[in-house]
Amino acid sequence: MEKHLRIELIIERMAHKRACRVLEAGGMTGYTVVPAMAGYGNSKRWSRDTDLSASGDMVVIISIGDEAKVRPVLDQIGDLLGAHIGVVTVTEVEVLRPGRF
Amino acid sequence: MDVALSTLLSPIILFFALGMAAALLRSQMSVPEAIAKGMAIYLMMAIGLKGGVEMSKNPLTTEVLLVLLAGIVLSFLIPLIAFIFLRLTTKLDQVNAAATAAHYGSISIVTFVAATEAVRLSGFDSGGHLVAVAALMETPAIITALFLASRGGGGREKPVAGSEQGELVREVFLNASIVVLVGALVIGWIAGEEGTETVRPFFVDLFQGVLCLFLLDMGLSAGRGLRQGWRQLSVMTVGFGLYMPLVSACIAAAFAYALGMPVGDAALLITLTASASYIAVPAAMRLALPEAKPSIYLTLSLGVTFPFNVTIGIPIYIYLALLINGQG
Repeated sequence: MEKHLRIELIIERMAHKRACRVLEAGGMTGYTVVPAMAGYGNSKRWSRDTDLSASGDMVVIISIGDEAKVRPVLDQIGDLLGAHIGVVTVTEVEVLRPGRF
Repeated sequence: MDVALSTLLSPIILFFALGMAAALLRSQMSVPEAIAKGMAIYLMMAIGLKGGVEMSKNPLTTEVLLVLLAGIVLSFLIPLIAFIFLRLTTKLDQVNAAATAAHYGSISIVTFVAATEAVRLSGFDSGGHLVAVAALMETPAIITALFLASRGGGGREKPVAGSEQGELVREVFLNASIVVLVGALVIGWIAGEEGTETVRPFFVDLFQGVLCLFLLDMGLSAGRGLRQGWRQLSVMTVGFGLYMPLVSACIAAAFAYALGMPVGDAALLITLTASASYIAVPAAMRLALPEAKPSIYLTLSLGVTFPFNVTIGIPIYIYLALLINGQG
């Protein structure tokens, strides 16, 4: 088992392609996008069925990589979150097959 | 008065009211998301096809081209006026005022569909080219809003990380509503009445029922949007959501009067101008002006202006159309 960093980025759906491009450009070998159902933030509840534009929907993007790749990616994600609605967390995880990251 | 009553008591408006009341009362009722999106595509296809078929019956005249041009001019112009009102009467900053103004220059296709039905129920005809006007009025407002936001240093200096060249252009000009609406309009125009006869049972006979179900869902959306976002709106901002459609309607009525438009066409142009977008523009604003708060512009257009337009606004717009035709 080897230690890696796991990025969990909750971001508005409209900006998720920008986040995915940042991850790809940063050399992350993979990521998964998961739709979020509902939540609360900035004194406001939201849910994915509120409006037809779906512009208020949020997604969760999960990506795992070694620290050398993750740190520069986080700088870019910081810039992205300077404009878009979202939250990013990084946790240390153990992976079974380090060669895949 | 009869026009107002027949509009307010029509099943589509009553289903809208039911949905809105259910959401405000926190009912668990909901229409599955995929069905709502499917119905939106169906309605845009139906209205586009109908408009295309109507257009195929008549040649493109100077009058029709002038109405199309009027729609584009109005969509560029209304955000400027909305922006001035927002800056003068609310505390919204430049970016939020510009983003909100964009919604009021663009259109709501559902309000347009509801108005089309109200015009038909009132016994007036409307031209198919108004569907083309609707499509043309979707995007110019976004361009005006971007200009307003960038003026005086608003907005971002450099692109957001991960931005791609052309992504905003794709979102603005190739969003689902424009592709489906314009596509169906062209198909209806090419195929004509005879060619679309085989799809008539699906697109014409079922239209009213689907519209009722869709308006029920729109009522739920508007009610939920209002319930979740009303704290973000000041009294003056809510006031803007109620008086701005009327300001836009008066400007559109002047255009319709100058162009000598008949009652049905004038009512629809007025409704389009008075309506506010909550599908195409919010999505474009999230990419173009991400600093703007969706809880302000979306709550205002979907939770305040849309219910106002489909219940009280449309009868007023039909009355305005009657007035400029000397029948008020």
